[in-house]
Amino acid sequence: MIDIKKTYKNYVGGKYVRSESGKTYTKELKNEFYELPLTSKKDIRDAVTSSKDGYKKWSSTTPYLRMQILYRLSEMIEGNKESYVELLMDHGLTKQKANKDIDESIQNIVWFAGLADKWEQLAGNLNPVSEEYFNISHQNPIGVVFSLSGSNISLNELLMSILPSLTVGCSVISYSEENSVVALKFAEDINNSDFPSGSLNILSGKFENILDDVSKHVEINLVALHKELDNDGLKSIEENASESVKRVFSQPSIEGLSSILPYLETKTVWHPKGT
Amino acid sequence: MIDWEYSESIESAEIVSIKKKYANYIGGKFLEPKSKKYLDTISPSTENLLAKVPLSNQQDVNSAVNAARIGFETWSKISPSQRSRYLFKIARLIQERSREFAVLESLDGGKPIKESRDFDLPQVAANFFYFAGWADKLDLSWSTKSLKPYGVVGQIIPWNFPLLMLAWKIAPALATGNTVVLKPAESTPLTALLFAEICEQAGLPAGVVNIVTGDGSTGSLIVNHKDINKIAFTGSTQVGKLIQKSLAGREVGLTLELGGKAANIVYEDAAIDQAVEGVVNGIFFNQGHVCCAGSRLLLQESIHDQFISKLEKRMQSLRVGNPLDKNTDIGAINSKEQLDKITNLVNEGLEDGGELFQTQCDLPGNGFWFKPTLFTNVQPSYSIAREEIFGPVLTTLTFRTPEEAVEIANNTEYGLSAGVWTEKGSKILWTADRLDAGVVWANTFNKFDPSSPFGGYKESGFGREGGRHGLLSYLKASS
Repeated sequence: MIDIKKTYKNYVGGKYVRSESGKTYTKELKNEFYELPLTSKKDIRDAVTSSKDGYKKWSSTTPYLRMQILYRLSEMIEGNKESYVELLMDHGLTKQKANKDIDESIQNIVWFAGLADKWEQLAGNLNPVSEEYFNISHQNPIGVVFSLSGSNISLNELLMSILPSLTVGCSVISYSEENSVVALKFAEDINNSDFPSGSLNILSGKFENILDDVSKHVEINLVALHKELDNDGLKSIEENASESVKRVFSQPSIEGLSSILPYLETKTVWHPKGT
Repeated sequence: MIDWEYSESIESAEIVSIKKKYANYIGGKFLEPKSKKYLDTISPSTENLLAKVPLSNQQDVNSAVNAARIGFETWSKISPSQRSRYLFKIARLIQERSREFAVLESLDGGKPIKESRDFDLPQVAANFFYFAGWADKLDLSWSTKSLKPYGVVGQIIPWNFPLLMLAWKIAPALATGNTVVLKPAESTPLTALLFAEICEQAGLPAGVVNIVTGDGSTGSLIVNHKDINKIAFTGSTQVGKLIQKSLAGREVGLTLELGGKAANIVYEDAAIDQAVEGVVNGIFFNQGHVCCAGSRLLLQESIHDQFISKLEKRMQSLRVGNPLDKNTDIGAINSKEQLDKITNLVNEGLEDGGELFQTQCDLPGNGFWFKPTLFTNVQPSYSIAREEIFGPVLTTLTFRTPEEAVEIANNTEYGLSAGVWTEKGSKILWTADRLDAGVVWANTFNKFDPSSPFGGYKESGFGREGGRHGLLSYLKASS
């Protein structure tokens, strides 16, 4: 019997889609050739439109519910653990490393799930101003985040490029090049975890093809690069970003509270006290 | 009707002695510029020459950055409690010499003495006091020990609150263990140079604070200097974008506090008289030379006529004139260049079809002045409703529903501040949650405190100044 081979597609707006360009790039795994979507400029624009809509829905979801949806994601991955381990092994990882990667992934999702309804208490505070005013600083998610994942084959590294911004209520366009088969498989568990459509879009392709489109798109509020780029690439992204004062973070911290800080805008509200 | 004769009350300028020529402050010494070039700084209320200050060139900036690098070796190694004590000492010295600073600020910048005396200087001292206490508590501030100072920080500040912007920049930078090269604005360098004396009096180690004066070219030399670790800039969005671009591909930290076009939303259930006061304070404070000024008045349609009539009456009582007169509400426009910009935008507003109201008042013969101005019948597409005017000019737009108010308020590339006026608490919180603005003033406007973070969303910049959040602008996560 001939094996049935999976077709990997981008995941945009809660749907599995091919690149509108019709273009693909090839990845060979265990003597099988997979044609992965080669994301185009138009695909990025569609993803941003979907992410803007997803941002509205996801950022207005209560922290309590965001926590449960993230926790559900860990349940989904736990249930599909074997298939992830197998996929990582197909990429050449040892069984031990593959198991470790998935265990760490699940642990990190649970950690961030628990942070969803706590980060505002850690990152915001009342300010003791010296007049009769109530004054509080709290945070809003920054909006639509484009996140370039690293080049290692790893679910955990992919997750660490997504979870900090997703947890605080940003919508995320996650883009993978080398790690794209893992990312596109992961989209299936996102689809099964009650995330509102557009809150997380997952794309694959060659980053150099869309570098300009991403960094110039004024509706992407922040670009997070979890991969070391050559200096020309980084310079070009940061120059384009300056045209709309877009935030760019190159290899941002993924440790603890500092992992979420880039994705927050601090809002300070004043009100007089009186009778 | 009794015709009360106006009696002015002029603050004496004798308390401050202005030198004819100033030097840069580098490595604890006052150094003549290697450029051998100088700029004139004038008083915008008289157009009289006050002093000459260095127009610093590459060599001068090199000296300052080198001095700051050497200073960093000392400053980053002394104990945090010592750093704290230096900042406390600076705060006290500022309090003691505050009248001198206030008079100099009003002379050089044109702002009313009642503002420089009662707002700027108390806030300057308060900022040094506030950050003094953080210097030895940084490990507690964000529950982590992995935050480290950047090193040498280049700071470029504007002319609207010269000494206060210096305090906003220098106090947190020093508290976190950085050293600085600060460039005051071309038109208002004098209080920064006087502050150099305070550093001397406080015995601050050489090179911790370096002050170089100059114009935009000097600022650009600082931004492009190879040995700078971080740039902190307050000024226009246009220049902020250029700085961000200059730093592309370089490992240099950046915080930007840029322009704004704040909506001041007045709902029909607001306390109208208080709102009128707040709207006046929101736009006419400091001649409207305020990045967070409430320059777009958003009125609920039902109260438009009543509100405008009260507002015009209140505006008419604003006193425009000599900044050193203690009764003056609105001083001089900071420069000829700024006056031209305001004039051009107001003319554009008229051509577009806006309805103009200006107060009836006599303006002094010399100096740069602009009458308090209100536009009604404005469309959101007019440039007076979109561009930052940075002067005493208020534009009015109307709305019917809270949803529409929020939509209009957020319909700008800026996101620095906003105001909300209503007596209904739930409506304040609902509105504040939906405004894309770093600071929201509810039933008040233009309030500041060193413990209160300030900074913008969107194209108003990134990073915060003030408060616990302000520390993050001068600390980087390091493993």
